[in-house]
Parts: sequence; structure tokens; C-alpha cells
Amino acid sequence: MLSALIWIPLLGAVLVTLLPSAWGASYPRFLSLGLIGATVIVSILLGIQFDPSLSDFQFTEQLPWIEPLGLNYQLGVDGLAFPLLVMNAVLTLIALWSSDRFTVRPRLYYTLMLLLNASVSGAFLAQNVLLFFIFYEIELIPLYLLIAIWGGPRRGYAATKFLIYTAVSGVLILIAFLGLAWLTGSTTFDYAVLKQQTLPLTVQVALLGALLVGFGIKIPLVPFHTWLPDAHVEASTPISVLLAGVLLKLGTYGLFRFGLGMFPDAWVLLSPWLASWAVVSVLYGSFTAIAQKDMKKMVAYSSIGHMGFILLAGAAASPLSMLGAVMQMVSHGLISGLLFLLVGGVYAKTGSRDIDLLRGLLNPERGLPVLGSLMVLGAMASAGIPGMVGFMAEFLVFRGSFPVFPVQTLLCMIGTGLTAVYLLLLVNKVFFGRLSESVMNLPRVRWAERLPAISLALLVVTFGIQPIWLSRWTEVSTTTLVSHFPTIAQVTAAQTAANSDRSEERMP
Amino acid sequence: MPQKTGQTVLPPASQTLEEIVRRLETGGALLPNSPDNLIEVVGILKSYGEVLNAYRLNLTYIAEYQFLVLFPFFKYFNGEVTASKLLRHWWHDRINYEFSEYCMKAMFWHGGGKLDDYLDSDEFRQLAQKAIQAKLAGNPLMLGCNRLFPEFLLEQVRVMAYYSALGQFWTVMSAMFLDLSDRYDRGEIQSIGDVVDHILVGLVEAASKPIVYQVKIGNQTYDILPASAGLTFLMDTAVPYVEAVFFRSFPFRGTVTYNAQSHQISADQSQFCYGALYADPLPIGGAGIPPTLLMQDMTHFLPEYLHDLYRMGLRGEEDLRVKICISFQKSMFCVTTAAILGLAPYPITTTNPTEQQANHIYLGSWVKRLADSRLITLQND
Amino acid sequence: MHEFLIQTSWWIPTYGLIGAVLTLPWSMGIIRRTGPRPAAYFNLLMTLLSLAHSVWVWQMTLGQPHQLLEFQWFRAVDLDLSFSLEISPVSVGAAVLITGLSLLAQLYALGYMEIDWGLARFFGLMGFFEGAMTGIVLSDSLFLSYALLEMLTLSTYLLVGFWYVQPLVVTAARDAFLTKRVGDLILLMGVVAVSTFTGSLNFSDLTQWAWAETTVLDPNVATLLGLALIAGPVGKCAQFPLHLWLDEAMEGPNPASILRNSVVVACGAYVLIKLQPVLSLSPVVLNVLLILGTMTAIGAALVAIAQIDIKRALSHSTNSYLGLVFIAVGMGQTELALILLFTHAITKALIFLSVGGVMNVTYTQDLTEMGGLASRMPFTTGAYIIGAMGVLAMPPLGGFWAMLQWIDGLWVVPLWLDIVVLLFNGLTAFSLMRVFGLVFMGEVKPKTRRAPEVGWAQAVPMVALVILTLLMPLMLYRWGLLPGWSAVNWRVAISLMLSTLVGAGLGAWIYANSGWEKPIRFPWKPVQVLLAEDFGILRIYQLSVVLVVSLLSKLAAWIDRYIVDGMVNLVGLFTLVSGEGLKYSGFGKSQLYVMTILLAMALIGVVLSFPFLSHLMSIAS
Repeated sequence: MLSALIWIPLLGAVLVTLLPSAWGASYPRFLSLGLIGATVIVSILLGIQFDPSLSDFQFTEQLPWIEPLGLNYQLGVDGLAFPLLVMNAVLTLIALWSSDRFTVRPRLYYTLMLLLNASVSGAFLAQNVLLFFIFYEIELIPLYLLIAIWGGPRRGYAATKFLIYTAVSGVLILIAFLGLAWLTGSTTFDYAVLKQQTLPLTVQVALLGALLVGFGIKIPLVPFHTWLPDAHVEASTPISVLLAGVLLKLGTYGLFRFGLGMFPDAWVLLSPWLASWAVVSVLYGSFTAIAQKDMKKMVAYSSIGHMGFILLAGAAASPLSMLGAVMQMVSHGLISGLLFLLVGGVYAKTGSRDIDLLRGLLNPERGLPVLGSLMVLGAMASAGIPGMVGFMAEFLVFRGSFPVFPVQTLLCMIGTGLTAVYLLLLVNKVFFGRLSESVMNLPRVRWAERLPAISLALLVVTFGIQPIWLSRWTEVSTTTLVSHFPTIAQVTAAQTAANSDRSEERMP
Repeated sequence: MPQKTGQTVLPPASQTLEEIVRRLETGGALLPNSPDNLIEVVGILKSYGEVLNAYRLNLTYIAEYQFLVLFPFFKYFNGEVTASKLLRHWWHDRINYEFSEYCMKAMFWHGGGKLDDYLDSDEFRQLAQKAIQAKLAGNPLMLGCNRLFPEFLLEQVRVMAYYSALGQFWTVMSAMFLDLSDRYDRGEIQSIGDVVDHILVGLVEAASKPIVYQVKIGNQTYDILPASAGLTFLMDTAVPYVEAVFFRSFPFRGTVTYNAQSHQISADQSQFCYGALYADPLPIGGAGIPPTLLMQDMTHFLPEYLHDLYRMGLRGEEDLRVKICISFQKSMFCVTTAAILGLAPYPITTTNPTEQQANHIYLGSWVKRLADSRLITLQND
Repeated sequence: MHEFLIQTSWWIPTYGLIGAVLTLPWSMGIIRRTGPRPAAYFNLLMTLLSLAHSVWVWQMTLGQPHQLLEFQWFRAVDLDLSFSLEISPVSVGAAVLITGLSLLAQLYALGYMEIDWGLARFFGLMGFFEGAMTGIVLSDSLFLSYALLEMLTLSTYLLVGFWYVQPLVVTAARDAFLTKRVGDLILLMGVVAVSTFTGSLNFSDLTQWAWAETTVLDPNVATLLGLALIAGPVGKCAQFPLHLWLDEAMEGPNPASILRNSVVVACGAYVLIKLQPVLSLSPVVLNVLLILGTMTAIGAALVAIAQIDIKRALSHSTNSYLGLVFIAVGMGQTELALILLFTHAITKALIFLSVGGVMNVTYTQDLTEMGGLASRMPFTTGAYIIGAMGVLAMPPLGGFWAMLQWIDGLWVVPLWLDIVVLLFNGLTAFSLMRVFGLVFMGEVKPKTRRAPEVGWAQAVPMVALVILTLLMPLMLYRWGLLPGWSAVNWRVAISLMLSTLVGAGLGAWIYANSGWEKPIRFPWKPVQVLLAEDFGILRIYQLSVVLVVSLLSKLAAWIDRYIVDGMVNLVGLFTLVSGEGLKYSGFGKSQLYVMTILLAMALIGVVLSFPFLSHLMSIAS
């Protein structure tokens, strides 16, 4: 069953390449939409059979591949990966839908999109660290090409920068994996086996350090982030949606699964530093976002800030904060996807993303009123206004991290306040006021073009009103992930429990 | 500050203004003549004529039958209250009569003309008091209120007088615009100049038409604006109307702040320039922009040739109301041209140089007043 | 049936939200052929339902013990966020008040905004507003209240931003949101902390926790916690120093201002009242409440006198009144705070209804351009007089009894607080009289020359509230909130009345007197300017918070561009890989693709072969 999520798009990619070029752009488009639609259905079927009360990996598949190398085709999914897996399918569907209908080289474009989807799914599913790494590396190629071919004017620079950064990231991760296997003398790269390692703490710290930097580049964490704004600015809208929505999550997912999961002792040792790192990332990303004039760059820096919350939650490593972290991954995926779609929509119609140039786009007749209203919603969601998914995710992150790192948590909360500052600047400058002369004659926007943003907005609101629909998949898995953690979290949690016990005693 | 060299070089706007004056002197209009402009102006005036007809029927109805009615729930029904009409009314599938009242309030508030003066005269007070006493005969509460607050009901009667006066003004105008459309359909209107001529002739014909207002209370008819007051169409409704609605009007809450501390709105009403000739058409359709109501009403009566022209735009039907507003402003400049020409000290065709000179100064002052209006923008469209 | 109505009292906030959703076809531009009024009617209907429901429930709760309704909403790990509703005479009564005023404000808006095509959006926002407010008063959960306060912040932003084309609105909406957000965010910090300490966020649990003797909290922590918790209400009630937004928020439509000045501020204070037990853990926090309240009560009253904008003059006086409520909460007198809120809500709403009528017919908000409206607008004038008397200590109306209770209550009041209330009352009387004199008395001005009384849609809400204001003493009496005649301390009552009379008399002497030349100039100009500009709060903000944030953001952006990214480019990774022209698009693309793919293949090759190599190495060793 899980294989379907990898092989449908993979075989689909082959199929799209084989389409006769004379058939035009709509065949590859509809074929790939259909295929990704199929993976969405498969994900839903998985969801029906998925048992959230189990902490183990489910639907596991295992095929021997290159046994001497310890590389096996091992797949499985738990509550940590499942929401991300579904989000990958949904966001790819949305990205495909919002792709330019008349794009150049349609077959190559859709092939790469399918390839990207397949490799990301593979990375979320892999139960073998080497297999994970292979998918993690494969995903680079389509993404690199998607930026380099269909990007903006400086696409070459941005794509290469992206490639080099992520290649370094890959090398570091590989070093950590190989080092781990080598030092433990393991003959397999099976995650379950490697997890059992009992290396000396210093070695663990060194290996975790490599992973932190490796995945830190991907997340991205300050100061390894500068590839991201460039990549976002140059990438076309659907690619930005996938980049922010799904690909950054590979970083946090990898960090939790392999960093936190395999080196718990080192993680605990480093966690105060990680929490502080998170603060730096959050505040740095948010402050930098305020100074941006390009809407897309602003949203990109906001991503840096918001991904920092996930690191904070991971550092605290309490069951609640971990749940919050996963929800924040989904929430950030949906919200930043929405924001990139909207910014892209504005760019497609006005030809500009400059917040000093654009004005008054809420104009009901000649502006982009529906996109504008959705932008208000997206901005509010990103700023953590209740009723939308961002709030609950951030609340859980803060509530889960506060007992462990109170100061860092409070500092990170300032980041949410700053989010409101820059996104409001954006909304009020670009959408309020009188429509500026330069954008008085915009082409009309059709409902089909609004559909992706509207559906994301609906998801943002639905999960905001019923966050339990999101958390139920993850809770047991994340709790198990940190259950054997000798962290400060539990010490404090025990205190709290004692406290509340006392308060219960008092009640008549 | 860089010094300007050469006194003769005028800023482009005043050059345009000079050109416009010259065009007016040679029988042209404020709006340049072009085939598209003609289609837009005639087409929109056709639609406007239909809307005005509905407005004036309602204004007259209110003035006659809703006189001092405390709860005029059905004032927009013109006396015909049926279930289906009520449902349509609730669904807001109707003419937005609120806008006609908005224009009436603009006239009332800005005043001007003999009508305004008459409403402050003792003669009017006596006439109005008679009608008030008759209307409220069985209502001691309101009569007491009238005694306590002597201006309260009087002010309401003044409003009613304006309802009636605007209704009478629009009766003439709507017929004039619909007639223009018929003549256009017959091929008699070929240029913007013809449009102006048509309106000018219509205004001149109706110029001395008396403005009178009576209400029937019980079986008795009460004069409010008697013929003896000598109020006439052109000077006492048309001119104040143009001043109040075309030029001054009210600042739109949607675009201008009423915050007293930021002093955005002049304390002097004669400095107001928020009227139809000045308003920015772009925010039409948004909140706090009253003319949206009129543009919305006109969407229902667009002649097919004009509608087709609009559909060809980049946005198709989506920015219909903005396009209507632009056309409407064009047509209002034609009406203004007719009014300006009609009020000129000498016929525009005069060959007498002193008369020409007087006309030149007169036209120059009007065009200068319009310098900040949409006039300049419409020259190039 | 009764049980059903109580069990379904969570519908009370829901009606407004449903109304808001129903406006979408018009506000989103899906229905374009016909106008937006049905959206308004839907919302009126929904509000009516909400009012009927809450009145019904309220009647049943009278004399009954509190009832708590629990709704499981979110539970994960050790966090249990259930929505708990308190069904008590006070909470449901507050819901009645809110829905009632909302109904009147909406009816009023139907007349006030009859020529506004954005009606659907406006009514949608009003429905949203109302839903959030009724939710706050019914909520027994700090978490839910917090969430709803944020909703209020959002809807304030959208309501102030209603006329989004207008330049001042653009900044006003932003400032309103951000200032309130600062308060909300600090409150959220408090919520997170409280939730960590107690494990529950229900007010009833919090109260028990706070009152329990076993609760030992470090005094510093308690202080910080309390300060965080009051930040939200301080922002919502526009108390010093988070009152910057209020002045600008008056850019919003008046029907929204009616609610803002009556019940929205009350909602902020209501949450504060609910938090009082927790706040009382720290005497510092209570003192801070007293200080902020006093500063705002007196400061805003002075500022109100210097305003020439009619809405601003009155909204500053709202703040000033809320200052009293803060003081009451700081003194632990929550019942008094509720009475103050109740009388203020109705009377201030009435004043704003009246003032809206004035703005509607004079097309100005400038007090210096008004005058002589009394003889033309009897309803509007009457409404203003009754409303003003109701706010002030003027027997027999509500404000008098509330303030009487203040001075003559069962609690011991420090003398300076008596002076504060007398001073407040005198200043407010002066300020309300000033507005009255300038608007309704005196000579007719050009802009008030033609001023017909407002239509029925605006007059009916005014008359309704006039009746309510007049009935208020009776209501207070029936609820047992009035002292008996014998218990009235006449010295106190007279001193209160005197302060009203002195203030109003002075106001009348200056402003209802054609002998004084208008506009009145202060003997000392800088003071007048300082008060007119609200103690220069805008500049203080610009020179502090705004400056810091903008400098930090510029600094961060500079570092990002020239240090972090500059370093990366310097390292020369780029030149290493692809030669000179890489930074910009002057290189052969196809080569790069090939190279990339090769690079990736090579990496994978290394991956696949490395374990093999390491295997060899392990054999070798």
C-alpha cells in the first residue's frame, strides 16, 4: 500500500515523458493531476486503516535490496510521518492545479513534479536510513531543475545556490549515517536497529552535530538559510508552494526522526543550545521579514521564523511540544502554501511583488478582492489568530516548551507578534488604499484560479476549528518518540502533576 | 528651488484647459468628440434616463403621499404593496432609491437658489404650519413636540419640498435623456456636439417651468411651494442641483476621513469638490462610495450596444460599474457643457468681439473651476 | 424545553457567526445582480434569535445557582482544553445586553449606512463581533476567552478597516490591530504560564487554585503572571499605555463605534473581572491596576475635553470610565465593576446613537462646525441628554447609584480614590456638557443649517435606549443592587451631585454661552496641544517601539544581506563549482544540468559503495 505512494507518481513520471509531444500541454497536466489525485485517494484509504493508537510503524513493507550494503527497501509510516505524507499529496495536487497551463516544456515539467512527489513520499516512508538518504538526494534533482528551468530572471544563481547548500546538507547527513553505522559496527542501515546504539556521548554529540547542520540547512535555520529566500523568489509559484509546504519539512522530519530519535542523550545535552538557536532563528527571520519589500521574500523569511518554532518544540522534547511541532509542520505547510499561492496570484496578474508599488488591490471591481480577502485570512492564520490552524499549533508548541525553556519560549512568542507586524504591513500596503495607477487594468481572475487558495484556506480554518482532527494521528507516536527521554520536561511535568494533584485535593 | 525659465511655458494642464475653452467657443463640448465617447454618452444617458424616471416617480410619490409619515416603511413601494413586491424588496432586487434621497439631501444641505431662500421665509412657515396642523390633527403628542421644538417638523416639511423639487427636476431630465436616446436610435445624433445641443434645447425649453408643491391632507389641498413664490426650473432646481450634486456633494466616507483633527474636509461648503464631476471612479463598488448605488441601478438598463462595448474590456463584466461610472462622468460633462452654455452671458455663436471676450472670461472661469475634476483625465481616454 | 434551551445556550454566540457566514455570497461578490441588503436582514434575524434565546435562558437562570456546561474540544497528552460555559444570571444577562445592543446597533446601521454598498461585509463583521462578545461573557474558560478576545481584535481590525480605501483607515486599522495584539500576546504568555502552573484553564478552577492556601507562588512569578494577564484587558479597554489605537479606531463606521464604546470595552473588563482572583495573588498587580486605572480615568477625561472631533471626544471619555472599572477590579470590587459596566454600556451606546444622528445630518464630526441642533432634532437631543445624565452621577439614573456605591459601599475606600471618582465625574460632566453646548446649543452654523431629524431606523433604537436608561434604576432596584433610602449617605450623595453640577455648570457657562468666543483657547497653548494629541502618545510610540522594531529589522536585513549571505558568496563555493558567470544567468544551462545530475549520481554512488568499503576496512582491521 505504501509503495503505491512512491510508485504511482514514479511510473506516472515515466508515462508523462512518453507522451507524444504533439499532444500539447493539457495531456501531461491532466495525467499528472489524475495520478496525484490517485495518491491523495490512497492517502485517504491509508488514513481510514491507520490506527492512531499504535506507536509502532504501520503498513510496513520490507524487501531485500542490496543486503551487503545493509540497504533494504523498508517502508513504514507512523503518526510523525503520516500527516506530512498526506500533505505532500495534497499540496502537490494543488501545485499541479495552479501550474501555468501554457508552460514551456510541459512534459519535462510534469515529469519532474511527479518525481519530486515520489521522492518526498519515499523519504517520509523510508525505514532504512540509507534509503531515506537516497530519496532525500533524489528529490534535489527535480527541484533543482524546476527552479533552474521555470524560474525567474536569476534562476541560475538561485538554483545553484540551492543545489550546493543541499548537497552539503546531504554530505553531512551521509557522514552522520555512515559514521553511525561504522562506529556501531552495524551491518544494516535499518532504522530500528541503528536506534539501539549505545555510543559514547561525545561521539553521539559529534554525529548529532553533523545531522543538525545537515538538516538545519534544509529547515532552514539561521545562519544556513540564505539559499531559501533566493530559491523562493526565483521559483515559480507551484514550486514555492511545494518548497515551503513540503520540502522544508524534510528537514524537521529528518531532525526528529534521526537526530532526536537516534541520539536522545546527545539531544538532551544540546537541547538548551537548540532552544536558543530556535530563538535566534525565529527572531532573526521575523525581523528580516519586516524589512523586505518583495512579498515573496517576506513570506520566505517568515518561513524561517516559523520553522524555528519547530526547533524550539523539538528542543523541549515534551510529548506536548512534539505534538505541537508536528502540527506546526502541517500548519506551516498549509499557511505558507496559501501565502505563496496568493503572492503568486498577485504577481501573475500585476507583474509585481513590490509592496511599495502595489496598492489597493482589494478594489472590488478592478482589483483582486477575493485573493485579497484570502490574504487577510492567510496573514491572520500565520500571525496565530485563533480559529485557524496556526494558533493551535503554536499554542501547543509554546505550552509544551514553556515548562522546559520558559525564557526561550517567551522570546519565541515575540516572533508571533512580529509576524503580525510584517504581514499586516503587507496587507495594508498592498491591499488597502486606493488602487494604484500602475495596476488599474488587471486581467480577470477566474474561480478556477482561486480554487487552490480557497481549498487551502478551508483546510486552514477547518483544522483551526477542529485541531483534534490533526492531532489525533500524531499524539501517540510523538509521545512514544520522547517517552524514554530523561529530560527536564518530565521533571517539570512531574512537578506540575503534583501541583494539580494538590489542587484536586482541595476541591470538595 | 530650481527657477522656472521662460514665462510662456505653461504647465500641460493649463494648456489643456486653454484648448478646452477654445473648443467650447467653437461649438464643442467639455468632452472631446469621438465615436466611442458618443456611444458611451448616449448609451449611458439612456440607462440613466430610465433610472431617473424611477427615481423621480418615487420622489414625487414620497412628497405627495408620505408627507410627515413617522414610519415610512413602504416609502419605496410607490403605493403598491404586494407580497411579491415585498419579497423582491427584501431580496434587494430593486432600484436603489436611497441614492435619489442622497442627491436630494445634497441639494438640501448645500442650498442655493430661491427655493432655499423661500424655505426660510415667513410665508413658507405659515403654509407649512397649516399643513402640519392638518396632518397631525389627531396626534397631540406630535403637536406638543411641534410646539416644543418649533423647527423639528418644519425641517421635515422643507425636506419634503426638496423631495418634490428634485422629482420635478428629474421629470424633465429623464424625458430629455430618453428622447435623446430615441433620436440617436433614429440616427439624428451624430456627435457629442449634438448631444449637448439636445440637452441645451431641452433646458432652455423648460427653463421657466414653475416649481410648485402641494400636498393633499384629508380632502384639502395645502400649498407648500405655491406658484406665487415664483420658483422656476432652471434657476431654482437645475442650477442648485448642478452645484450641489455635480460640483460639491459630500465627501465619501469610503475615501475621505471625517476626523476633525486631520482637517481633510473644508469648513467652507463652497470649497467642497466631491461631486459627480470630481469623484474618482476607481473605488466604485466598494464600501462607503454612495454613487455605487446609481451605477448598480444603471447596470439593469444598459442598451445592448453599450453593454457589448463594456464586455470587450479586459475584465469583461467584472468591472462593469467602474466602466459605467466613467461613461456617466463623460455624459455629465456633456450636461454640464449644456448648462454652462445655457447660462453664458451671450450666445456662444456671437461674432461681437466684446461679447466674445465676456464669453471667454466666463468660460475660462468655469473651466478653471473644473481643473481638478475628472475633466483632464477624460480628454485622453 | 427549559433544559433544552439551557443545554443549547452555546447557540447564543453561534447565531452571530452563522449570520456572518450567510453574508459571504454578497461580500465575496458572488451575488452581484441584486444588492446586499438580504445579508443585513439575515444578521438582524440571527441577532434577534440570539436575543430571544438569551432572554429566555436568562429568565430561567434568575435565582438559580450557577450552571457549568462543558464541551470537550481538544485533549492531547496532559492538556485538556474543554470549553466551559457559565450559565448564570450575570453571564447570560451580559449576553442579553450584548445581543440587545447589537440588535439596536444593526437596526441603526440599516439607516445610517443605507447608501453604503459594503453593507454585507459590515453586517457580517457585526455578526462576528457579536458572536465573539457573547462567547466571552458566557465563557468560563480562560483559553476560550483568550481565543475570543483575539477574534475581537481581528474583527476590530476589519471593522476599523471597513472603508479600506481611505488613507487614515489604512494606518488606523493596522495600529488598532498591532496595539491590541501586543496586549493579547502578553496575555497569551500569561495563559501559557497559568496553564502550566494549574493544568486547567477554567476560571472556576483558576479561582479555586488562587484561593487555595496550598498555592505557593514565588511573588515575582505571581507579579509577572498577573501583569501578563492584565495586558490583554488593558489593550482591549484602551487603558494607558495601550490606548494608542482608540483614537484612530474612530475611523470605523459609527454603528461599530456604538458597540465598541459600550460592550466591546466591557468584554475586556469582563475578562479582567473573571481573572481577579488570580490577579489578587500579587498585591503589585492590584496596585498596577489602580495606577493604570487612575491615570486613564483622569488623563483620558482631560484629553476628551481637548478633542474637537465629536467621536473622539466621547471615546476618550469611554476610556476614562473604563479606568474606573479597572480601579474597582484593583480594589477587588467585582460586583461594583459589573454595575459600572452595565450602566456605562447602555448610556454610552445611547450617546453614540445620538451623536451618529448628528454626524449623519451635518456631514461633519468637527465640534467647532456645529451648533443649534436642539430645536430641529428633538429625539437626538433628548437621547443625548438622557444618555449623558445616565453616565454621570445624576440621580435618579444609573450612573449615580454606581458611583454612590463606590464611595459609600461596604468597603473602606482610601480618600484619594474618593477624590478620583469626584474628579472623574466632574471632568466628565464638563466634557459632556461641552459637547452638548457645542452641538445642540448656540448659533446655527452653515453645516448645521439644514438638519432634519433622523429616520425611523435610527430613531427607534434611540427611543428604546432612552426607555432602558430611564428604567435602569428600577432594574438595579429589582436586582437588589440599590441601597435603601435610609442607607444612603447624604453627604456622599450630595458631594457626588455637586461634582456633576459644578462640572456641567462650568461646561454650560463656557460652551452653552454665546458670550464666550469660540473656539475656546486655553490660556496655555502647549497644554491644549498636548491634550488634543493625547499626551503625544503617537510620537512616544514612534520614538520607542516602532523605532526599535524598525531599526532591528533593518539591522537584521543588513546582516543577512552583507554578512551572512556575503560570507557565503565569499567562501567561493559558487566559483568553485561553476566558474565566473554563475551568479547571474550568463552560463550554459545544459552543461549545468548535466553536471548536476552527474554530481548527484556520484553522491549516490558513494552512498551505495561506502558500506562495502567500510566492510572491507573492517575486515582489514
